[in-house]
Amino acid sequence: MGQKTPQIYSVELNGAKDMKQTDKGDDKDKYRGLWSTCLELRKNHHKEHVTKEIDLDDHKLSNKELENKYHTNIVTGLSSTQAAELLARDGPNALSPPQETPEIIKFLKQMVGGFSILLWVGAILCWIAYGIQFSNDKSSSLDNVYLGTVLALVVILTGIFAYYQEAKSTNIMASFSKMIPQQALVIRDSEKKIIPAEQLVVGDIVEIKGGDQIPADIRLLFAQGCKVDNSSLTGESEPQPRSCEFTHDNPLETKNIGFYSTTCLEGTATGMVINTGDRTIIGHIASLASGVGNEKTPIATEIEHFVHIVAGVAISIGVLFFIIAVSMKYRVLDSIIFLIGIIVANVPEGLLATVTVTLSLTAKRMAKKNCLVKNLEAVETLGSTSIICSDKTGTLTQNRMTVAHLWFDNQIFMADTSEDHFKQTFDQSSGTWASLSKIITLCNRAEFRPGQERVPIMKRVVVGDASETALLKFSEVVLGDVMEIRKRNHKVAEIPFNSTNKFQLSIHKTDDPTDKRFLMVMKGAPEKILEKCSTIMVNGQEQPLDQSTAEAFYTAYMELGGLGERVLGFCHLYLSADEFPETYSFDVDAMNFPMSNLCFVGLLSMIDPPRSTVPDAITKCRSAGIKVIMVTGDHPITAKAIAKSVGIISANSETVEDIAKRLNIAVEQVNKQDAKAVVVTGMELKDMSEDQLDEVLTSYPEIVFARTSPQQKLIIVEGCQRQDAVVAVTGDGVNDSPALKKADIGIAMGIAGSDAAKNAADMVLLDDNFASIVTGVEEGRLIFDNLKKTIAYTLTKNIAELCPFLIYIIVGVPLPLGTITILFIDLGTDIVPSIALAYEKAESDIMNRKPRHKKKDRLVNKPLAVYSYLHIGLMQSLGAFLVYFTVYAQEGFRPSTLINLRVEWEKDFVNNLEDSYGQEWTRYQRKYLEWTGYTAFFIGIMIQQIADLIIRKTRKNSIFQQGLFRNKVIWVGIASQIIIALILSYGLGSITALNFTMLRPQYWFVAVPHAFLIWVYDEVRKLFIRLYPGSWWDKNMYY
Amino acid sequence: MTKKDKKSFQQSLAEWKLFLYNPTTGAFLGRTAKSWGLILLFYLVFYGFLAALFTFTMWVMLQTLNDEVPKYRDQISSPGLTVFPKPVTALEYSFSVSKRESYEGYIEDLKKFLKPYTAEAQKNLRNCQDGALFEQKGPVYEACQFPLALLEACSGESDPEFGYSKGHPCILVKMNRIIGLKPQGKPAIECTGNSKGENTTTLPVYPSEGNIDLKYFPYYGKKLHASYLQPLVAVQFNYTASSTPKEVTVECKIVGSKNLKNYDDRDKFLGRVAFKITMRA
Repeated sequence: MGQKTPQIYSVELNGAKDMKQTDKGDDKDKYRGLWSTCLELRKNHHKEHVTKEIDLDDHKLSNKELENKYHTNIVTGLSSTQAAELLARDGPNALSPPQETPEIIKFLKQMVGGFSILLWVGAILCWIAYGIQFSNDKSSSLDNVYLGTVLALVVILTGIFAYYQEAKSTNIMASFSKMIPQQALVIRDSEKKIIPAEQLVVGDIVEIKGGDQIPADIRLLFAQGCKVDNSSLTGESEPQPRSCEFTHDNPLETKNIGFYSTTCLEGTATGMVINTGDRTIIGHIASLASGVGNEKTPIATEIEHFVHIVAGVAISIGVLFFIIAVSMKYRVLDSIIFLIGIIVANVPEGLLATVTVTLSLTAKRMAKKNCLVKNLEAVETLGSTSIICSDKTGTLTQNRMTVAHLWFDNQIFMADTSEDHFKQTFDQSSGTWASLSKIITLCNRAEFRPGQERVPIMKRVVVGDASETALLKFSEVVLGDVMEIRKRNHKVAEIPFNSTNKFQLSIHKTDDPTDKRFLMVMKGAPEKILEKCSTIMVNGQEQPLDQSTAEAFYTAYMELGGLGERVLGFCHLYLSADEFPETYSFDVDAMNFPMSNLCFVGLLSMIDPPRSTVPDAITKCRSAGIKVIMVTGDHPITAKAIAKSVGIISANSETVEDIAKRLNIAVEQVNKQDAKAVVVTGMELKDMSEDQLDEVLTSYPEIVFARTSPQQKLIIVEGCQRQDAVVAVTGDGVNDSPALKKADIGIAMGIAGSDAAKNAADMVLLDDNFASIVTGVEEGRLIFDNLKKTIAYTLTKNIAELCPFLIYIIVGVPLPLGTITILFIDLGTDIVPSIALAYEKAESDIMNRKPRHKKKDRLVNKPLAVYSYLHIGLMQSLGAFLVYFTVYAQEGFRPSTLINLRVEWEKDFVNNLEDSYGQEWTRYQRKYLEWTGYTAFFIGIMIQQIADLIIRKTRKNSIFQQGLFRNKVIWVGIASQIIIALILSYGLGSITALNFTMLRPQYWFVAVPHAFLIWVYDEVRKLFIRLYPGSWWDKNMYY
Repeated sequence: MTKKDKKSFQQSLAEWKLFLYNPTTGAFLGRTAKSWGLILLFYLVFYGFLAALFTFTMWVMLQTLNDEVPKYRDQISSPGLTVFPKPVTALEYSFSVSKRESYEGYIEDLKKFLKPYTAEAQKNLRNCQDGALFEQKGPVYEACQFPLALLEACSGESDPEFGYSKGHPCILVKMNRIIGLKPQGKPAIECTGNSKGENTTTLPVYPSEGNIDLKYFPYYGKKLHASYLQPLVAVQFNYTASSTPKEVTVECKIVGSKNLKNYDDRDKFLGRVAFKITMRA
């Protein structure tokens, strides 16, 4: 900005000129990015359109030229036939909806993620294995077919579940976008008609009035007091005045163009439609969003990484044992079956379902806290977020003007700007306040819509512009029934605001029956008001306006302006009853009343105040190591002021400019290292190279981007992503949608947000409250920790399920654990417990640590895999083998007999296999014993998985610190494990297809000492981690 | 994904090399010598402990076992039937009467199987009383004689070729050993033959009526009852050999005892056995 930025920023009530002054320099550049992007986009996406220039000069043309260009007539409008032709040529005036992914594609997408691929490969391998077996031996067991089918079923069912979950949140979204068909008042065939806005065509003459949405891009032909809200396009919360004069070369800045989808706040206007549908500015921005690729969610990356680990382990073990099997003289075909068996045994069948359920549980929990997650995987993304690029208007602020400060009696008073409880606590005893309040009340044209007596004042609907609304609400709160006061002080004359006067004036009879004087009240741009005054009111007494009071006024004016607030001055004059008797007729055109030597009463400043929950939320983000960057289209001064008041720029940090001002030196002389904060404008950003932007992003902890275009928002997001940051972007306007899409997680506002924003976002804040993001971060971090626990829990028993097969191959014992039994662990006993871990509370304050590093803090890291596979997994296998050997030994087969018994054991025609005691067993008797062995091994794993579940509650703290009973769901999980095992062993003991038998009760307890050992071992591990942080132990054992 | 994320081949090769051996830190496969030492030491101790623990628990488990009798015998409450000669691949015997080499293996197998039953081998065994269980209290457990003569034509004494050369082959049927099994009633083996297109006929069995004498029960286990001889029943094939191959399915089962089951849905060898004989001239 440099010198072009005035030191204070103020906009008069209906001011028109200084706005332009403020940003004359940078506005041209502000939108250049957008236009060039649109062009580029066209180049990329529609090559055939490259030559077609965007029509930029409609604002420069005279009415006559316009008429010729669009073959229309300003008075009579288009003819119906003309309009019909144009409609057929250009299509309806509506944004083409973002390309909806067909439901079937969405559905299929759920089944091809990283995890699903693993399961599909497993399933196909199973079927291949069966094919090999079948071609060898027609009577081979169908186990592999079952396994393959179950794997496929798991993928499909989980896919259906995830699809259903996401469809549900999409439905919630849909209910939010209230689609009211828009109407437009158009002149056609010389008649005024109301038609659906969709049927507008280029050349139509439309009339708009306050409250209407502008139905297309229009060139204004006539305007009266027209103001539009461009915030959804540019992020400016100030109403923008519109007129029919050509004021700026840039079509986006000139006052004679109104944009599709923006709202006309007040006044009336007539305009000619110059662009419709997708050819409008908003249409271009919307298409910008669809050109931006979606980023892969961090959790998807993590799961992919996890799949790589599992696949790596599976294939290495598989190949190793393939080589061993071949060298042990197994037939190659059998060895291939083993290889496939080992690979498939490594697939964690239940994990896909568990992760999906866990994520959707969290999504549900977040939805309760007003964070609606559109994409399940985005649940975690917020947790790993390290930078939040937040929009200002509507997200950080309330998006409504509110009185923030008052200045009278040489003193600045603060007004309460919070959303709901509106209790003004400043000193109201002064006589000056009595006068000031009267001016505020009377010199105001805004009114409440009738019939809102029960609605809280702050929520009532007001007819009038933003500033007047703010003043009306303010006085209603402080003084009570404003309408009644106005009634008592009858208005006899009024000059509404116009841009030449820059003030508003009204003359009233007073409610004091003894006082026959008229009261003239006036408000307007402070310096203009002060010019008209010769006295100033201090403590209720009029005093001459001397040099020192004028200085005090300017200091206050500067101070309030420096806060980014819109400042208004107020003055009044009691007209002497002699000169102006009761019957005096005021003529506002002739101005037959004094316009100088008035009495200055005070200043009042307004701002779109921050939401009251935001500063706290920002503090929390900061302590959670998350950098909050403000990116707004608004003015730097307002942006900085809001940033300061919400804590994005903390109280004691300064920008380079601040330091320069404090030390009274040139900006160039300031040591940039001293500045913690920086405000970068769109214009500065435009001149920055990628490296310079990176430098800004890394060297300043507190950053505000102001006057940015949608394209620049994208550049900022990309810059952050280059720092390996996980970037969250919040926004509500159409202008935010490209950045929302580009971000790792786009967060749209549910209430204020436009459909385009919601479509591009991954998450929707139903209450538009920035503080909800903090909740989301917390949940996201918790789910990451808990997923770690779930995966560790699930991986552990994988080894216990794999070892039996390996021992079977190498040592030749009867198979200790069958395929179907494994499925009953993975998809039976283990499911509820692993989901239960999602309910685990955080071990320490997760909001006090840094966000995880995308590339360093992995979901599944080496210590996790090693500890699960080689420590607990192995201990578990030993415990389960103990149960297995016990069962066989007590039935007659001692361990020594079992070794290398495999071949004889499995021969179908050997029906007199001798055990260690000389008894002879038929094939079926052996088979039954084998199933008993499966059941025993199963129970062994199950009992130890209970211990595994308990130890996985924490990664660092002792279980006793965490509390055994705090997470009740864990106990539901344990109960489910035991009950499922009981049913399988005793309830379905006679169903041979499932390979379960009734197991003697005492065998259930054989593995219990091992379970305790696992617990004790893990407690020791955690103890050492706590005792020696950073030590060798910590590095190798903490996952 | 942007181009930046894709590593060039050379870059990843360099990364691998660095992983294999990093000269600056002296790390080999991502760990320094000291780190490797520590980790190996840790696993040595840890796995040593686990191995010791497993050995100990297995030892404790083995202490709960009895050397003579298994703790539980519930899974083999009723014996299965098995046949000799020992089938090679499936329960099918196929030979040609005129070709000695086609049945020589069967004869050898039978001879081998009957070796413990020779008079010489049995001379130390006791001549028990017929028709009653031979329950013993120990400490020395005796076994009863099973004179080969009981098998008559299939004893191998009168016909060392067990009838194979004459077209009347013998198959031996025996009941699986089960410790402590005490058959009730008068158990016997009954065999029927079924040839395609002919009526089912009862095949001749030796000893007469396929009797299994109760004196051979109960069995006291390999350790206590080392010299135990299982009672046998021989079934002789009495079809005449013709030029066309004769295919007969033979089914033998235990009858005459309440506690010896001869039918189970899933176990086709529990108290019964079926096999096929294909005989050519």
